[in-house]
Amino acid sequence: MTGREPKMPLPAGNAVYRIFAMTLCALAIGFGVSLAAIAFVEAVAWLNNTLLISPRMRVQFDGSPWLIAVATILVPVIGGLLVGALLIKLSPEKRPLGPVDVLRAVQLSLPPPGMKAGLLSTTAAVISLGSGASVGQYGPLVYLGAMIGNMLDRLKLHIPNFAAIAMSCGVAAAISTAFNAPIAGMVFAHEVILRHYSIQAFAPTTVAAATGYVVANVVFEREPLFLVQFGGVQHGHEFVLFGLLGLLAAGVAIGFMHLTLRCSDVAGHSSISPVLRPACAGLAVGVTALWLPDVMGVGSEALRFATIEGAFQTWELALLVAAKIVLTALCIGFGFAGGVFSPALLIGILFGALCWMLVDATGVVATSGIVAYAICGMMAVTSAVIGAPLTTILIVFELTRNYDLTIAAMVAVVFSNLVSYRVFGRSLFDVQLAGMGIDLSQGRDRARLSTRLVSDLLIEDFARCRSGESAVNVWTGASATPRGEVFVLDEDRRLAGVFDARDRTGDPSAAVSSLMKPVTLVFDETTTLAGAMRQLEGFVGDVIPVVDASSNRFVGAVTETAVIKAYLQAVQELRREENATA
Amino acid sequence: MRPLSTFTAFLLICVMPLCGQASDTITVVSWGGAYEDAQRRAIYEPFTRATGVKVETVTYGGGVGALDRRADKERWDVIDMIEDQAISACDAGLLAKIDMRQVAETQQPLAVADDFVPGAFRACSIAQNVYSTVFAFNDRAFLGEKPATISDFFDLVRFPGKRALQRTPDVILEWALMSEGVPISQVYDLLSTDRGLRLAFRKLESLRGSIIWWQDVATPAEMLDDGRAVMASGYNGRFFSASQKDGVPITIVWDGQVIGYEVWAVLSGARDQGMAEKFLRFATASEQMASLSELIPYGPARRSALPRIGLHRKTGVPMRDHLPNAPQHTARALFGDALWYARTKTLRTKRFEAWLRGG
Repeated sequence: MTGREPKMPLPAGNAVYRIFAMTLCALAIGFGVSLAAIAFVEAVAWLNNTLLISPRMRVQFDGSPWLIAVATILVPVIGGLLVGALLIKLSPEKRPLGPVDVLRAVQLSLPPPGMKAGLLSTTAAVISLGSGASVGQYGPLVYLGAMIGNMLDRLKLHIPNFAAIAMSCGVAAAISTAFNAPIAGMVFAHEVILRHYSIQAFAPTTVAAATGYVVANVVFEREPLFLVQFGGVQHGHEFVLFGLLGLLAAGVAIGFMHLTLRCSDVAGHSSISPVLRPACAGLAVGVTALWLPDVMGVGSEALRFATIEGAFQTWELALLVAAKIVLTALCIGFGFAGGVFSPALLIGILFGALCWMLVDATGVVATSGIVAYAICGMMAVTSAVIGAPLTTILIVFELTRNYDLTIAAMVAVVFSNLVSYRVFGRSLFDVQLAGMGIDLSQGRDRARLSTRLVSDLLIEDFARCRSGESAVNVWTGASATPRGEVFVLDEDRRLAGVFDARDRTGDPSAAVSSLMKPVTLVFDETTTLAGAMRQLEGFVGDVIPVVDASSNRFVGAVTETAVIKAYLQAVQELRREENATA
Repeated sequence: MRPLSTFTAFLLICVMPLCGQASDTITVVSWGGAYEDAQRRAIYEPFTRATGVKVETVTYGGGVGALDRRADKERWDVIDMIEDQAISACDAGLLAKIDMRQVAETQQPLAVADDFVPGAFRACSIAQNVYSTVFAFNDRAFLGEKPATISDFFDLVRFPGKRALQRTPDVILEWALMSEGVPISQVYDLLSTDRGLRLAFRKLESLRGSIIWWQDVATPAEMLDDGRAVMASGYNGRFFSASQKDGVPITIVWDGQVIGYEVWAVLSGARDQGMAEKFLRFATASEQMASLSELIPYGPARRSALPRIGLHRKTGVPMRDHLPNAPQHTARALFGDALWYARTKTLRTKRFEAWLRGG
């Protein structure tokens, strides 16, 4: 077994207890995550101000351009060195953690990486963002939320699927707090993390998202990420443009995701020590920022400028889109801790603004202004990258409270997702997971079956013999076991063939090696339940031998019945999870 | 310790009469006009009645340069300043560094730090009132639709006519960005970038040819009155006085108001710092703050003064409704970042002057 045993505890108490306990936990998670997320964002802002990354502080030292230039180069480099040292030297995982790890833990019912790795990753993310690396804050926040949620798993409340739901609650609260968008937070937890809708999970994630919103919005009165004024879509033909923008945005998103994966590959094969890799990316960010300061950090100023007509020249937008794509891919590939969500938002909004400027420059098509195109671009790129069309549409709705803008964004998002799903995959997270051997594209059941091994189902009561033994000896020995198949092993304990002990027509004194048949189906220690089920099609017999893949030595055997039973049990677990009400 | 304490007490007894002789007057510098009249009645006269110390007043027009040029010559002791200018003057060593938390009088049960507005205490200054820069328009200029938002200030099509503006980069650049749809909370962040400054000047460019510059704080109301301008930027208290006292038909638009703190500070060359601190303690007491707000609508810088504010002493207008920090006016108010103003003054002035020359 690769992870912990599938948890099938009997539900303790009645449904009322479980609902009550789960709701209380969701409240606690929502509250805790919201506070932690606010602290995270505040810490990043404080570092940005202290380290002269934020424009608001940089302008106050306008009289000392050398100080600004030195800070621009040195801060990301030193930040990179710290991040490299923290992650490689101290973290057991030796890498930053993010939504991929949450997704893996929830989808496969595996324990997430340990607390130490989580805390170090979060600290590394604060330093990365604080020192101006071109990465996003939502990925680390999602992990932080899930980590806090998972802490409650230690309470052992004996609620089925508790760990997955608690982690989703944390994720929902984190997104709800970060965006001031509780509905989007709740939907994100379902769309990206849980990947199914059950009443059992729906209620607590909603409670956690609402709690996060209340803490962020009512208690701390935090400002939303962006506010725009938009009069409405004035021309019907613009919806065609939004659709086209979605298609183009898919191209940008696919390019961005490919480059991110490629940078990780290049970094993995490079001779640069892993500790120094983030610093190299930091140097690239610093040098670029000397000419193009907008590339540093989350870029909330550039995000706002993109919705103002005339803030950028066309070439500036094109340059900034390209620079942000390359630097973000570099920062993430070379080991800075941070996500792709906010960079995707920025790349998308700049790309949307660029498209509007190009359309507007032709003077042929009437438009309703830059805002709708910028927002459409932003959401189209983001939804393709994170694989969450519903979430992105809802974020627009909750942040702008503008119905027209939401419909426009919806059109762009749908077309973008359609293309990127076909060409690239559901999201960057899914493709990264597939790289780790977990393929969610064939559904959750297939992915979960892919993590269970048939070698965990080995049985003892089967017969085996040496290839030189006589048939009559084997007949006598085999009569003690219920099955007919006898596995014939050679001198090195390698599987030579299978001898059918029920067929007694052969010469009793002949060696079994002359009477045995070749084996039609063999499993090894890497065969998963999913793989076994595929291979069982057309198999006739009771028992399947399992060998060691490298030495080909015989390890044991599994029955067809045990494999099918394990498969049905895994599927049943999933069905129970998806239909659970409390 | 005892001999030392006795010796200190002896010294104090010797010195105190000297202080008394030197400090039978104190020179307080302020802005003149309706504002200083209100200060005289709310603070100076009660102070003289309570202590016997005469307050001599000097008028100035703001700015740090004035301190350098006039303070020593005219024997200034205490000065009323705009917060960011006080920060600059403090950095330049023109003001005395004083622990203002010790100077302020506690109003039980609130601790001083909780009672005053956030950031009230700085190295050389203490917040005394909350003022705001707003724009106002002449009611007679727009008989139909009236300006209501900061965007309307820049809209020469719907609201044609001259705009009176202070000849400084303060406030007008912030308004320019707000009128571009930038949320209040992001104004300073964006104005801190070169791109933001360019955008603001581009917006200001749309008003070029329709601006009359003013430098004396009393003039915007006069310009509205005599028809030289249809809209004007200015301090809310001045506009209030002009409309209430002088009957000038003007309306204040609170949208986009920029709120700042007016502070008290002691000059580094003050003759008697002890007396100056005593004056500050008196002037920042809740009672005096509330009295000032009843004469001119500048909000008190401490919470405990708010419930004491009643009607205007002459007109009977409920004054709390006219304060910049009245809840109904703060939905779209920009709370000024004094430190940012102080540290970016040179850059903004340079760009502003360059823009002026470009016309």
